[in-house]
Amino acid sequence: MMNWNLYSRGDKFFAMVVSVLIGMFTVATLYPFIYIAAVSFSSGFAAQAGKVVLTPIDATLEAYGYIITDPKFWISYRNTFIYTIGGTIMSLIFIVPCAYALSRPQLKGRRFFNLFIAFTMWFNAGLIPFFLNMRDLGLLDSMFGIILGFAVNAFNIILLRNFFESIPQSFEEAARMDGANDFQVLWKVFIPLSKPAIATITLFLIVARWNGFFWAMVLLQSEDKIPLQVFLRHTISNLSDDDEFAIVQTAAGFSAETVTAAIIVCSIIPVLIVYPFVQKYFEKGILLGGVKE
Amino acid sequence: MVDENTNAGGQPLEEALIKAREAQRRVTDGRWVRLFDHFKREWQIYAMLLPTIIWFVVFLYKPMYGLQIAFKDYSIFRGVADSPWIGWEHFQTLFANDQFIRAVRNTITISFYNLLFGFPAPIILALMFNEVMHATYKRTAQTIVYLPHFISSVIIAGIVITAFSPTAGIINTFIGWLGFDPVYFLTQPQWFRPIFVGTGIWQEAGFGSIVFLAAIAGVNPSLYESAVVDGANRWQMMWKITIPSILPTILIMLIIRIGNVMEVSFELVILLYQPSTYETADVVNTWIYRQGLQSGQYDLAAAAGLFNAVVAFVLVMTANTLSRRFSRTSLW
Amino acid sequence: MSGVNLSGIVKAYGALQVVHGIDLTVAEKEFVVLVGPSGCGKSTTLRMIAGLEEITDGDLTIHDRRVNRVAPKDRDVAMVFQNYALYPHLNVADNMAFGLRIRKMPKAEIKTTIADVAEILGLTPYLDRRPADLSGGQRQRVAMGRAIVRHPKVFLFDEPLSNLDAKLRTQMRAEIKRLHNRLGVTSVYVTHDQVEAMTLADRIVVMNDGRIEQVGTPMELFNNPANTFVAGFLGSPPMNQMKGMLTETGAKIGDAEIKINGAVAGHAGRDVIVGIRPEHVTLSDEGQSSALPISLDLVEPLGSEALLHARHGEDTLVFKADTNGDIAHLSGVGAVHVPSHLVKLFDAETGRALNLGT
Repeated sequence: MMNWNLYSRGDKFFAMVVSVLIGMFTVATLYPFIYIAAVSFSSGFAAQAGKVVLTPIDATLEAYGYIITDPKFWISYRNTFIYTIGGTIMSLIFIVPCAYALSRPQLKGRRFFNLFIAFTMWFNAGLIPFFLNMRDLGLLDSMFGIILGFAVNAFNIILLRNFFESIPQSFEEAARMDGANDFQVLWKVFIPLSKPAIATITLFLIVARWNGFFWAMVLLQSEDKIPLQVFLRHTISNLSDDDEFAIVQTAAGFSAETVTAAIIVCSIIPVLIVYPFVQKYFEKGILLGGVKE
Repeated sequence: MVDENTNAGGQPLEEALIKAREAQRRVTDGRWVRLFDHFKREWQIYAMLLPTIIWFVVFLYKPMYGLQIAFKDYSIFRGVADSPWIGWEHFQTLFANDQFIRAVRNTITISFYNLLFGFPAPIILALMFNEVMHATYKRTAQTIVYLPHFISSVIIAGIVITAFSPTAGIINTFIGWLGFDPVYFLTQPQWFRPIFVGTGIWQEAGFGSIVFLAAIAGVNPSLYESAVVDGANRWQMMWKITIPSILPTILIMLIIRIGNVMEVSFELVILLYQPSTYETADVVNTWIYRQGLQSGQYDLAAAAGLFNAVVAFVLVMTANTLSRRFSRTSLW
Repeated sequence: MSGVNLSGIVKAYGALQVVHGIDLTVAEKEFVVLVGPSGCGKSTTLRMIAGLEEITDGDLTIHDRRVNRVAPKDRDVAMVFQNYALYPHLNVADNMAFGLRIRKMPKAEIKTTIADVAEILGLTPYLDRRPADLSGGQRQRVAMGRAIVRHPKVFLFDEPLSNLDAKLRTQMRAEIKRLHNRLGVTSVYVTHDQVEAMTLADRIVVMNDGRIEQVGTPMELFNNPANTFVAGFLGSPPMNQMKGMLTETGAKIGDAEIKINGAVAGHAGRDVIVGIRPEHVTLSDEGQSSALPISLDLVEPLGSEALLHARHGEDTLVFKADTNGDIAHLSGVGAVHVPSHLVKLFDAETGRALNLGT
């Protein structure tokens, strides 16, 4: 980057204008989160009347009190952790060795296998056949079904394969001459050398699991198996037309809006905690998957 | 003493020797022996590959076999294989169905708006980030604008529903301040697309800028230095150097977007639409979801899915072919 | 017993053959250097010995055991790679221990082995460092250390010095030689640098186009190159090669004629290539030599000597001359002398050395 002192006056003005615009976009990005947080801490009456703009009005923890006393909230929270951790581990168990194998030039049929996997990115059977297949496999309403059925995707395999291919061949050769077999080459050389790439993929996997909603909604019926996102969805769509709730809330200090907002806050907080630590990885990671055969 | 015989040139005698050895090798190290040898030596990589291949067969290729119900009168009790064939009947039904046609049209329209407004947004953002001089300011802003990408559709929808609520929502609070009546945004068809596309920009523009920022970072710095020597200002440099330099990236990303026209994020649609906005909001996948998973018309919905998949496949393949022309490598 | 024996080794990628049947025996404890231009098949040959490339045809034995289909790890060879291939996530000690751990050597034994080898290579102070924190020369030593700790039957070197700067290269070259003298392990060394080949090798194998051009000690190859390729490859600057025609007493080059020892008589009229080493050209008439008129192009002073570029008719001639502290006297040179017993002759068509008998 060039030195600020070398900028002409016009350039400085231009840079300032751009900085202000960036600032506005940043604030616009951030504002909905602040707004939701403010709503979650406001009284139900204030929220319903649309009085909340930036800070909580008639600050109260009633909405949080309502959700943390709901056992379904905690069950779904626990389930999300199970899906996220179990699913991510399951995915890595499939993806890492597969990507390694596909990156080996000595693999016979390498082109075919690459195509076999990549083809699923271009063509998929769609919702219905996938659903019927899960049903035929007996994986409806099954936590294991959710973990296994979405363990692998072609994009992550290709991303990691590309990274493995970029590792100089001599690392593998040196390890081989040292007596390492493929499992040892992968475990002792390739995985340590690929930490950034694997971290990126792990991040993608965790985010996808944490946020996973549609198939959990479709495949899971039991309330004790649903993840947080589905619980949140149920809450959002049910609260407002639930008469019983309407009676409860007039007595208490919360409303459908504040409860929804409180669940959103609870669901975002883990993401916000992890986010700064992983940020350095995904910028590089997203480019790894980029453009390459 | 060195004489002419020391040299091993390509004499006919030697060629013959090589041929003789080759013939001998065929006997001793035959093709099958070598193949057996190969698997004996390299079995581990095949063992590593196998679980994933099985996974793909079971979870992604078997459903492709199941796609045949698009041409069958599918009955749950008979199963995929034993249901009777009925040919193209489902497709005839589909194209006679106004709701399906509407869903196809909505998909394309929403994609078009996404392209028109959603595609330039990350490019503009990246170009702007490139002009911000204060490192910490830039870093912080980037951290914040990438964040929404990691937020689930359910939460996004929750925020949108809360913010656009006619009574409680902040948007209508603002509108009230301006002296207007509250607008029922989420129940009125004309508002669905702006809200949907706007939400998409809010969520993805920041994250999408990473690719373009990387492309900008790859521009040879001496180009800017020579431009400074030539007396160019930052605005001119942006137009004359930065944009032309990242044009290949822009083109490739554009092609990818066009290839994904059929892929409207239907998860968010499901979360945001309601019967009163189906008119503008219902896309192919949401229609399939309602017909198939909610109403149980699996075969008809599978036919719609097949139609969608084939169109998407053709688009993606065309996009890939096109991108080959713009870059030496293909997208995959 | 031979260290490494290659007989009729062929490498082909599909229909494309890159090594066309190599026969070579490396004696035990011998240091053999494969040298040649890039793409000549020397690295491929080395990698076939290592087991990193499949051998298409022929027999490879190490210590008289046929190893064609033996996995690299079971061949008891160690290799030093061009880019060293040091694991960046491991420190020096762990890098060297990597192979020993995989081979399940007892921990105590690993420790003493590493300590010994580190001592030999002067790496003891750096055992805890990561490769990224080492200099080029130190990395090079670690790469060798990793090979040495295993006490292999054969060392393979794949252009190990090409990533170093010129000064360090000279230094490491000497170190490799000393190490070989000390350890006495059979070594096969690949390089494209003829100086490395000359200085390190017990025997040099000059390769070109997937074939061996000549095998011999450095001085044999230097004094009696088997063909114009070897003549042009070894020596710096390389041997001058000029078109000529034999006469009854010597060879005619352009208008001039130079005398040549040996029985050229009877071959008069034969087209030849006359090879003259730059070092053999003198400015004054010494013994049995003949004068070659030249026009001087360029004088490059190198210090004690100078490199002179000259023309003789259509041929160019590069030769060395002593400066005696001054190059002024060289600018007027109009003719040079070529000692008749040092002139080499090659067949004009095949490029092979002509031995017309002495």
